Amino acid sequence: MNSTIVSYLSQFDGHKKFIAFLSEVLGFDATALIAFLVFLIASIVVVKVMALVGGMGTYAERKISADIQMRQGPNRVGPFGLLQFLADGVKMIMKEDVLPKNADKLLFTIAPLMALVGVFGSLAVVPFSSGFILTDLNVGVFYLIGVSSLVGVAIFLGGYSSNSKWSMLGGMRGASQIISYEVPVTLSILAIVILAGGLSFSTLVNAQGGLPHQWYVLHNPFTFIGFFVFFIGALAETNRAPFDLPEAESELVSGYHTEYTGMRFGFFALAEYIEVFVVCGVAVAAFLGGYKVPFDLGTGDFLVNTLHLPPIIGKNIGQFLQIGSFVTKTLLLYYVVIWIRWTFPRLRVDHLMTLCWKYLTPIALFNLVGCAVWLYAFDGHSIWELFSQMTAGSHGGGH
Amino acid sequence: MFDNILFLLSASLTVVGAFSVVLTKNLMHSCVYLLAALFGMAGLYATLGADFLAATQLVVYVGGVVILMLFAVMLTGGDQDKENKFGITKVPAMGNTKTFIAGGISALVIALVILRLVANIAKQNPQGDLPNYMSTVVEIGTKLVTDHVLAFEISSVLLLGALVGAAVIARPARGDDQ
Amino acid sequence: MSSPNLDVYMPIIILMAIGVIAVVGALLVGKLIRPHNPNALKESPYECGEEPIGSAWSNFNVRFYVVSLIFIIFDVEGALMFPVAAVFRRFNEIGEGGVLLGSLLLFILVLVLGIVYCWKKGDLDWVKSFQLSDEQIKQLNNVKES
Repeated sequence: MNSTIVSYLSQFDGHKKFIAFLSEVLGFDATALIAFLVFLIASIVVVKVMALVGGMGTYAERKISADIQMRQGPNRVGPFGLLQFLADGVKMIMKEDVLPKNADKLLFTIAPLMALVGVFGSLAVVPFSSGFILTDLNVGVFYLIGVSSLVGVAIFLGGYSSNSKWSMLGGMRGASQIISYEVPVTLSILAIVILAGGLSFSTLVNAQGGLPHQWYVLHNPFTFIGFFVFFIGALAETNRAPFDLPEAESELVSGYHTEYTGMRFGFFALAEYIEVFVVCGVAVAAFLGGYKVPFDLGTGDFLVNTLHLPPIIGKNIGQFLQIGSFVTKTLLLYYVVIWIRWTFPRLRVDHLMTLCWKYLTPIALFNLVGCAVWLYAFDGHSIWELFSQMTAGSHGGGH
Repeated sequence: MFDNILFLLSASLTVVGAFSVVLTKNLMHSCVYLLAALFGMAGLYATLGADFLAATQLVVYVGGVVILMLFAVMLTGGDQDKENKFGITKVPAMGNTKTFIAGGISALVIALVILRLVANIAKQNPQGDLPNYMSTVVEIGTKLVTDHVLAFEISSVLLLGALVGAAVIARPARGDDQ
Repeated sequence: MSSPNLDVYMPIIILMAIGVIAVVGALLVGKLIRPHNPNALKESPYECGEEPIGSAWSNFNVRFYVVSLIFIIFDVEGALMFPVAAVFRRFNEIGEGGVLLGSLLLFILVLVLGIVYCWKKGDLDWVKSFQLSDEQIKQLNNVKES
């Protein structure tokens, strides 16, 4: 029921044999130990990959913005400037760590920590594939909403603790923006939960198919609007432009991290870029078919049947295809996020609140009602299924 | 094994957080410690197998109530000095004999009441293994629309009342409104 | 050992621990190699070159508080609706979807009433320090240029 990466691995014979062998050697039941080790290794892999994604995110952002503005962008460190983020990382560690004299020293340290912990905590439920999901909690989506709200607290504390007016304004804005946009985001996820009938990410993804017309974004008109509501809300929740008011350079210097230098600033930036990946991943999982691959390639059945591979190999190839499918879609959305940042001007703070409370929230509520009624009226069939039924019905009537 | 680790981590986070809340004199710090205590509570719920409750704790308390408290503290101007603009000390006189006696007696009474309640439960339910882990979401959802549908609907009215009340109380006095 | 399979929470704890270790570790390692020569100017808050006046911790506008109050109500409503939404499909499959749809719609209706109230009363507006009423704007538009 609660599948994790361990429960995926435990269906192979080698895993059981290894546990039996280790239990014999150590003299106690090694199941828990193996589970811990697997989780530890998988978590470290995920964190490393995500750090890479975060680092490449900064590079991609600069390169794409440079492309959009007809500039060169970073091109000195490594081929095409690809290693720029490593240079940035080294620079950040070498930077002096300035603690403002009037700052609240405890909160000044806790704030970046809390941001990173919140984002890392949300990584645990990101469904990379049907097997490679660190833990598929029954309350997956809901847990993710809760744990990512730690970032909002962190931004507020970062702004407060600096005791600088810019930071304070940025922190207040950031916190109120994040909590406001959580409302439409939660409501649009609720609509999907109604259609899928469960809160875990595997339920959400398994209710969809590999081809675009089986995705929830094209399921019915309400989910189509809901996807955009979710995406706009997610942009605002991660403080991305055009909603980057908490760190608006032109009005607040640098917002809540004005006083942060070196690694402390680096952690805020890393948390932001990873969070963008996470929300893009959630959008993909909830609306764009998640890790599903067309034509049963993901489960490996197709390969096994046509090429007569052993099931275990087919299954593992399928897993890699699933990861590929998920990551490709997520990175495409990531690209869209960066593209939006360098295309749209920043909103004004009162417009921001108007957009959230007077447009997105009512629309999201409308979508929620619409999805509920749709599920009741059409038994959860998508609009395409209804079309095909209708044409089939009319053919039947004609003859 | 991991049950115990999870329990110990959450319980220590809760207890340490809760003690720090009352021991620190800085309002902001005590808000952050409260966040730690509430986070630990979520862990405790998770240990008991109440996964939905744990997630609700995260969403409502960690994500909502703590931020509300932080904003409320900012309404008072943070913790910049011990006196407000009228010259009244913001930090109440903690730690004189009267407060200690009052606090001690009320703590004693509350502890007795809670012990009395817990003793009954402990007598009737001897300690045993926890039930098998299962999803509570479906169970809660089913209960909410069958046995407790009235409570579910009335809670929405309660929340409506809270929303209206919050809006009325927090409404700033507009210049030209009377 | 008791039976509940709490191992599903293990990655969360591990990931959070990694987060803490990463921050603390990087700050401690950085301490060895980064320079440390503070001075009074460096440690003062950045105010575009001006001498900072007073502390940033001042009384803040009440509008942030209003937003978070409204948010909490919606948060709780969402938390109540999630389990109901999760069982909707199951109820629909056994043919009892209508009951659930009714109670859910009633719940949402009350929620909508709250929004409508706040909207009408202007609590969703971002309070500006100087704001013209609609009539004043009309008057302003009617002023002839002389």
